[in-house]
Amino acid sequence: MTSVLEIQGLTKRFGGIVVADAIDLTLAAGRIVGLIGPNGAGKTSLFNLISGVERPDAGSITLDGKALTSVSMHQRARRGLARTWQNLRLFPSLTLLDNLMVAPRVYPGENLLRVLFTPAAVRRAEDTTRAKAMSILARIELDSYAHTPAADLTFGQQKLAGVARALMNDARCLLLDEPMAGVEGHAYQMMQKVVREVAASGVAVCVVEHNVAFIRDLCDEGVFMFAGKVLARGSVKDLMADARLTELYFGT
Amino acid sequence: MEYVYTLVILVGLYVILASSFNLIIGYGGLISIAHPVFYAIGAYASALLARDLGVPVVIAIPLGAASAVVASIALAVPSLRVSGDYLLIASIGFQLGVLEAIKNFSWTGGAGGLTNIPPFLVRSLGREAYVGLVAVVAILAVWLVRVIAHGPYGRALSAMRDDELAYTGLGRNAIASKVAVFALGSGLAGFAGALYAHYFRFIAPEQFEILQSAAILTMVVVGGMRTTWGPVVGAILLQALPQAITFLNLPPSVLGPIQGLLFTGLVLVFMFLRPQGLISAGATWGSARRHRA
Repeated sequence: MTSVLEIQGLTKRFGGIVVADAIDLTLAAGRIVGLIGPNGAGKTSLFNLISGVERPDAGSITLDGKALTSVSMHQRARRGLARTWQNLRLFPSLTLLDNLMVAPRVYPGENLLRVLFTPAAVRRAEDTTRAKAMSILARIELDSYAHTPAADLTFGQQKLAGVARALMNDARCLLLDEPMAGVEGHAYQMMQKVVREVAASGVAVCVVEHNVAFIRDLCDEGVFMFAGKVLARGSVKDLMADARLTELYFGT
Repeated sequence: MEYVYTLVILVGLYVILASSFNLIIGYGGLISIAHPVFYAIGAYASALLARDLGVPVVIAIPLGAASAVVASIALAVPSLRVSGDYLLIASIGFQLGVLEAIKNFSWTGGAGGLTNIPPFLVRSLGREAYVGLVAVVAILAVWLVRVIAHGPYGRALSAMRDDELAYTGLGRNAIASKVAVFALGSGLAGFAGALYAHYFRFIAPEQFEILQSAAILTMVVVGGMRTTWGPVVGAILLQALPQAITFLNLPPSVLGPIQGLLFTGLVLVFMFLRPQGLISAGATWGSARRHRA
């Protein structure tokens, strides 16, 4: 089991509020880790620290053994760190296909000089990227919606589209922020299938999710967070059976 | 005939200015009004290089454009690092500052303007050749903006305008994208300025002031932002309109204010009645094109 992402002593304060308190966490290739905890426990904040939206006050993050802590957000994505967002953040002015087309790690079509001076190479890259995007859409059975504006998709489809866009990165590590919130039925099954497949291909996956059934069915390991701290880790079943954690979770 | 040539050249230059401004404000989503100052920098740099340093005009013109590129990067990098909104404020300050500097130096000709700018083409090949040159550059500028806006780069810009954080999260450097678009648009404006200088052979700082910003903005808004032909239509229309007014034989003291009222009035009317402009861009990127299924 190779560790992909390693976090040590990660700490972040906003004024007097500690959103991350000396967090240690390891994500390994092919394994799915679920982050559990009540609202405000610091789960999304941890994702923001890992993906580079926020800079930590202390601690270190490494991806495949290379330090990420002082690397900018867009460079982290280029090194193979992909994430989805709780509130989706799809591009409403683009079609579903184009949402995926802007998401590969590096892309010659987005270099102004290459666009102007090597149009043939840009066209070839465009064709390869389109084929890849279509195959990802086919996997989640959304290929027939490729030319639909992202804003016109149903909520469940948009959630799947967010994950599909992240897959364009061929990431080493994938962070999913509440992929199941508001998702039901067919999209729910599809999401489970995709996340399993991605992990099986050797990607380190971390999921923040309130849907306990989803976490229990999917995750190899659960990490319980509260007030910016990792309180416990283990199998999701054991964590949910712990009366102390359940009390913290439901606040009773 | 000379009047017609002058008119065609002015229309051509404004097509370049409006198209390149559309690239910045429309496709790039960068709010700046300093476009005329890059027009000015291109004009002054090329004119001074050719007149005072003896650089051949054919080299001075691209160097003028390059000066505008350098100046635009110097403005954009620090202000865009703060925030997108800061660019507007910085651009106003930059425009006023550069024009004040031009007015107060002696080597720029001061407030009275720069005279005796070396001519280009007209003496050797005639005015028709210059008209042809401006037309070719204008067509190339429109084509260039279209290629960028309709290709993968335009798609990325569209994504960036929608959601900068998500765009960055996908591995894109939003600041670099913005600076590149701003520099290219400003460089085109600088090229237009250099072409202006060597034809009219006289430039003065007052030509590049806020009224000029309003004129270019009006062309883009009235014609249709984020479309290829909108700025072209806007430039032709708004260049022809003031010319038509001059036939009314009004005194110059009235004419200037009337033009200002016309431009700002048109922007207001269009903002209320037809915000998309004469030609409207689709809601979805690339929706105007046929889908390559």
